[in-house]
Amino acid sequence: MSALVSILMGGVFHASILFLVAAGLQVVFGVQKVFNLACGSFYALGAYFGVSAVQWYVAAGGPPAFFIVPLIAAGALIGVTGVIVERGLLSFVYERDETFQLLLTFAVVLMMEDAIRLTWGTAPVSTSGLYLVYGQARLAGAAVPVYNLIVIAASLVIALGIGWLLTRTAFGRIIRATADNREMAEALGVDMRRVYAKVFTLGTALGTLGGALVIPATAAMSEMGVELIVEAFAVVVIGGLGSMRGAFVGALVVGILRAVAISVYPELEMLIIYLIVITVLVFRPRGLFGGAAA
Amino acid sequence: MLAVKNVDVYIQASHILRSVSLDVGAREVVCLVGRNGAGKTTTLRTVMGYLRPRAGTITFKGVRVDGRRTHEIARLGVGWAPEDSGIFPDLTVAENIEIATWTRPGGSPAAERLARAYEVFPVLKTYAARKGPEMSGGERKMLSIARALALDPEMLILDEPFEGLSPAIVPVISASIATVTRLGHSILLAESNIHHVPEYADRLYVIERGEVIFAGQPHEAWKDPGVVRVIGGQT
Repeated sequence: MSALVSILMGGVFHASILFLVAAGLQVVFGVQKVFNLACGSFYALGAYFGVSAVQWYVAAGGPPAFFIVPLIAAGALIGVTGVIVERGLLSFVYERDETFQLLLTFAVVLMMEDAIRLTWGTAPVSTSGLYLVYGQARLAGAAVPVYNLIVIAASLVIALGIGWLLTRTAFGRIIRATADNREMAEALGVDMRRVYAKVFTLGTALGTLGGALVIPATAAMSEMGVELIVEAFAVVVIGGLGSMRGAFVGALVVGILRAVAISVYPELEMLIIYLIVITVLVFRPRGLFGGAAA
Repeated sequence: MLAVKNVDVYIQASHILRSVSLDVGAREVVCLVGRNGAGKTTTLRTVMGYLRPRAGTITFKGVRVDGRRTHEIARLGVGWAPEDSGIFPDLTVAENIEIATWTRPGGSPAAERLARAYEVFPVLKTYAARKGPEMSGGERKMLSIARALALDPEMLILDEPFEGLSPAIVPVISASIATVTRLGHSILLAESNIHHVPEYADRLYVIERGEVIFAGQPHEAWKDPGVVRVIGGQT
């Protein structure tokens, strides 16, 4: 029983991180119709920036128990990279074929990977020793790092926050209107440039925050972004492109299945996810929540 | 208020509008009539900034708007109700109408704008919590015009507001548009059916193959054999 709980909690922790990245991917696609391959790069950037922020914080004598504050701040703040990428690159290809957008975001993936290597080097970096600073909790006999529970709670709060933003605020309704009918939104005075810049920044910040939050549990590596793109893609296919509920459910499916596979038969780690993706594509091509509102 | 002068529009290599000119004065109701494909919607979409003219000028309240982006034109005070109504299906009726009060600051207070929209289309108040897909074609047309009104515009552009409606609904929409004119808004209305042109229209333009072939009082149109040939056979 304790082993099962341990596996499940590990899966939910991974799902929490995956949800943040996939939610960023979904909100950008839902509004801007851009499939942002660079979401994984933003995740990696958030991880590296998080490591640097925590290392700086610890070196400055900050109490280890509060390391999560600079970590979250760094993860959220580096999200402003989104404005630069959106205004500086993407805004020039909105009117062009989707292929241009895909190629452009793929170019960002390659450039970011090199920029990360140039800045932080090729060796993995980590926030050594801080993962268990909050200790471990006992759940049905299983030892679960409290940090994992904090991240799971943070992801849930962010998911609820996104739901609140989209359904209860004027900006959220403008986002949904833009996702529904861009031309009509413009005719009602919506400045599309501002909406796109804000939405892309939100999507980027979700990715960078995901990267920052994962980093106490693992090491930052330059290729970590590329690995996550594959999983985020699986989440989107399973949940349904453009659906926030789909991102939530898809992340849980991928996160838990991956954790189970790693424990039972590690060679199946990705294969089982691909099998689910293929099954969904065959029997429900639009995903579990495909066509549903954001 | 609105002056379109010698506008030429191309869509890719096709020359769609040829030296189109029309004027809409303050508190005027102006109709642009033509067959399907004659260039009505292209003219309206050009005024709204969706298409850029290759030649000619468009001014609204004395300000050049050709080349401006759509949201800027809307914020200058031009409300747009497209032929397909353009309802946001994921938003409720109330949210569809409210959105314009957030995007165009200034002018009348939001509450006043919403009250005006519901005053013209009181039935929408009873559907406030419904979403677009749960509404009939006529109700969507009403919502589209109500939403444009909530922008607090000086001028409304209505693209075929009676298109696809049952004969029973057409008089209801027509009466609502008449109410809008009494509130002091100018209206530019495109219509493919001459019989749907409201009797309170101040001026009529007839467009055929991208060219304006008639401009004048609605009753004068029937005296022009060229115009009658184009629009006279429609019922």
